[in-house]
Amino acid sequence: MLGTKLRLPVARPNLVPRRRLTDRLATALPRVVLVSAPAGFGKTTLLAQWLRDSDDPDRRVAWVSLDEADNDPARLLEHVVAALASVRDLPDASRLMADDADPPALAVLTSVVNDLDLHAGSTVLALDDYHVVESPEAQAVTAFLLEHAPPQLTLAIATRADPMLPLPRLRARGELLELRAADLRFTQDETSSFLDRVMGLELPPADVRALADRTEGWVAGLQLAGLSLQGVQDSTGFVHDFTGTNRFVLDYLVDEVLAHQPADVRRFLLDTSVLHELTGSLTDALTGRSDGGAVLEALDRGNLFVVPLDDQRTWYRYHHLFVEALRARLLSDHPDRVPLLHHAASVWYAARDRPLDAVRHAFAAAEPAHAAGLVEWALPDLRRERRDGLLRQWLTALPDDAVRDRALLATYRAWTRLVEGDLDGVDAWLADAESAYEAHPPVPAPQASAATREELRTLPATIAIFRASAAQARGDTDASKRHAHRALDLAGPDDHMARGGAAGFLGMAAWAEGDLGEAVTTFTTAVRSLAAAGDVADEFGGTVPLGSMWVARGRPDEARRLFERALAGAQDHPGAALATLGDLHVGLADVLVEQGHLDLAGEHLRAASALGDTASLLENRYRLTMTAARLHRAQGDLDAALRLLQHSADRYVPGFFPDIRPLAAQRARLHIARGLLDDAREWATTAGVDQQVAGGYLEEFNQLTYVRLLIAEQRADPDPGAAADRLGEAESRLTAIAAGAGAGGRGATVVEVHLLRSLLHDARGQHAAALGELARALDLGVPHGFVRLFLDEGEPLEQLLAAAERHPAAAAHARTLRHATYLPGAATADTGVADALSERELDVLRLLATTLTGPDIARELYVSVNTLRTHTKHIFTKLDVNTRRAAVERARELGHL
Amino acid sequence: MTHQPAPTGRDRAWYEIRLQGQLGTHWATRFDGMTLTALEDGTTVLHGPVADQAALHGLLRQLGDIGITLLSVHQHDPATSTTPATEQGD
Repeated sequence: MLGTKLRLPVARPNLVPRRRLTDRLATALPRVVLVSAPAGFGKTTLLAQWLRDSDDPDRRVAWVSLDEADNDPARLLEHVVAALASVRDLPDASRLMADDADPPALAVLTSVVNDLDLHAGSTVLALDDYHVVESPEAQAVTAFLLEHAPPQLTLAIATRADPMLPLPRLRARGELLELRAADLRFTQDETSSFLDRVMGLELPPADVRALADRTEGWVAGLQLAGLSLQGVQDSTGFVHDFTGTNRFVLDYLVDEVLAHQPADVRRFLLDTSVLHELTGSLTDALTGRSDGGAVLEALDRGNLFVVPLDDQRTWYRYHHLFVEALRARLLSDHPDRVPLLHHAASVWYAARDRPLDAVRHAFAAAEPAHAAGLVEWALPDLRRERRDGLLRQWLTALPDDAVRDRALLATYRAWTRLVEGDLDGVDAWLADAESAYEAHPPVPAPQASAATREELRTLPATIAIFRASAAQARGDTDASKRHAHRALDLAGPDDHMARGGAAGFLGMAAWAEGDLGEAVTTFTTAVRSLAAAGDVADEFGGTVPLGSMWVARGRPDEARRLFERALAGAQDHPGAALATLGDLHVGLADVLVEQGHLDLAGEHLRAASALGDTASLLENRYRLTMTAARLHRAQGDLDAALRLLQHSADRYVPGFFPDIRPLAAQRARLHIARGLLDDAREWATTAGVDQQVAGGYLEEFNQLTYVRLLIAEQRADPDPGAAADRLGEAESRLTAIAAGAGAGGRGATVVEVHLLRSLLHDARGQHAAALGELARALDLGVPHGFVRLFLDEGEPLEQLLAAAERHPAAAAHARTLRHATYLPGAATADTGVADALSERELDVLRLLATTLTGPDIARELYVSVNTLRTHTKHIFTKLDVNTRRAAVERARELGHL
Repeated sequence: MTHQPAPTGRDRAWYEIRLQGQLGTHWATRFDGMTLTALEDGTTVLHGPVADQAALHGLLRQLGDIGITLLSVHQHDPATSTTPATEQGD
């Protein structure tokens, strides 16, 4: 049915030409055409008339007939993109939409804007019935297009209420063409032409004038009046009665029109008024007749307020105003019939696999049990399509009693509570779900879809996973693990989604507990299960924590391989990967910094930064600046690193992932490296790290930082009296850490402990012991890619490495660290500034600042549109922006223009 | 009929909405809980309790959907005005 939403309304024969209005639209296209007037003023007809009659062969019209469902930004965007893509090639945006059921809106919108710029001809995006778009999130979709789309795009909006767009600014700039009620009212001439040509009435001029006055040029009133006059001999008498009454025009005329219909047609109109769309067999289901199709055709021919939705004239709808009047009449005169009619409609839609309409009518029929059954039937597919908003709305609308004894619904009612953070509610509904499951386990219908079968089969595992999730939200790791284990026991070998979810919880719990051997194994299984389930988005998202686990495991090389593979795979799934694509770049950059590949790391950070926040999960966003801080430190710019860390701290949001490198401790490490030992000491005191003697994995980073502080303090103040205390304390802390790290398979910590022991011995003047520990650290660390772990220690370590080069046991690795191209000093890239733009790119940039369209620019430069596209993409990346407009602004700021 | 939200809710208020044209009484079912009175002067008064501002906006939008002209919207205390039909004009 998407087709009928996205097509220009079918042309009616004999429309009244409205040149005084359409001519105003025929000149140069403004940015926005706003047709704003109450119901029944002929907005849609006028807009369609204008757009159909255009004589510009290069113009394309994308039409969307909006309805209540479009008040959801995801639906609105889907329909806008589908409409635009039906008239213009939008390769990037279409790829994003095709790949993922729910791609990030901002990414899609920027792709649309950039794709549109490459078409020379004008494109009109017509949004009819725009008043249904009320939510700020949905309105933001239109506002973004208005703000960023190239000048070739015109927005044509028909609405009953002025949209939340910057109308005064558009007016002041002459970018707005408005047609309002006063413009749309039919003049005497138009009234005459309408009654004559469209309604086939020949009325005396005085009657025409009287009708025009009484209806005030309101075309819906004129049409109703015309219908009432069909076959009436004494038109003057009718006009006299009509003008003599104070009754609301719509009321009076609809009553007149209905009175002129045979009883069976009147009943047909009232009964079918509960429908949003009409087709023969659907109306038959409601009326008990068998000639619905013929009745609709007759209504269409008789101009009786049916609007055809397709060329074949199989689907119709009533005119909005007419149907409002019919429904009020039905509700008042036959209230008992209303639920029966909705029920019949619901059954008809259900039999035709249209769950959304079936459920809507079931709710309207006030039949909770029936509605619950339908929601249950539609749920697995909605889940698969990620229509979470609609599903939550339905589940919340169902009365508790209708949900409680249906295991599937009760389980997902619990999920709605989880989303709301109502953990007690989760428990209560899951308990209901389990009793319902035991009392009568749901059995899939013979014709049930694969999604339904899997959903029902894995329901017990799903319940356990929701329990694990609630326990995790409570901070109860033991309970979370228990439930996740149970979920794994309950899931079958091929229930990939359930297995992935359960293993994910177990992997995450093992990580937080510092058992990295277990964490990596379990989480790898989780990511594989998600891949097997076809959940590409979560497969990519899971790679981010898995990479961090591999680094903690002591294997940066393995983490790098994972990130690189994921980024390569992301090329094939641009939509699904997008939600975490930036995080993957940051993850890889972090590993590259560790390995000493600073230039490459800088490139990935820029890529992540250009993708923006939409390509990063909320809880990962602080990592971009954190890794940038690491990069700057590696380049020797400790002040920049400190600033970036502060930035990170501002963006830090606690999430599911354990906080294994607390930002405050990272800052303390920078303070130590910078010689600001008092600042670092203050951190230790404030955070209580100096008082903490033992502590689990989550305390480890703090402890290792504190050990560095103790050693640095001893170096700065080589008082032999204090040495025993400070270094002794450092040593005992390292011993405590070493035991746990070894048992937990935390390879990175093991290397770090050896390294710090080496520095500790060195501070004591025990050179042989220092070199021994260093050799061990190098042996374990260098082959797997640890570089910065060593080099960040600066001067004292540099001397030890020089000494180690003369020792056969450590010479090879020490040389690797000291003489590789990525040594500090060899790293020259200044990642704070965008890559220099090439001459060619500057040429393109200058043209982007003009009003030329993409194809114009390509012609100007003697290149293809595709080549231009490549140039603009490079420019966007280098300037860290994603639209033409933003590129021009940024270039001005940077003085390129 | 009554509105879903608690009738004693503090956001609840009585409103009087005046419309151009005499609206048939059959619309009353549609504007749930409101009394509909057609006046001699060719206007109609909708009068009754409204749960909160969101409900009021919803009601105004329903009126917009039938294309009727809105003349005035007043909030008032039901204790001081129980007979909308005899209210003064605007």
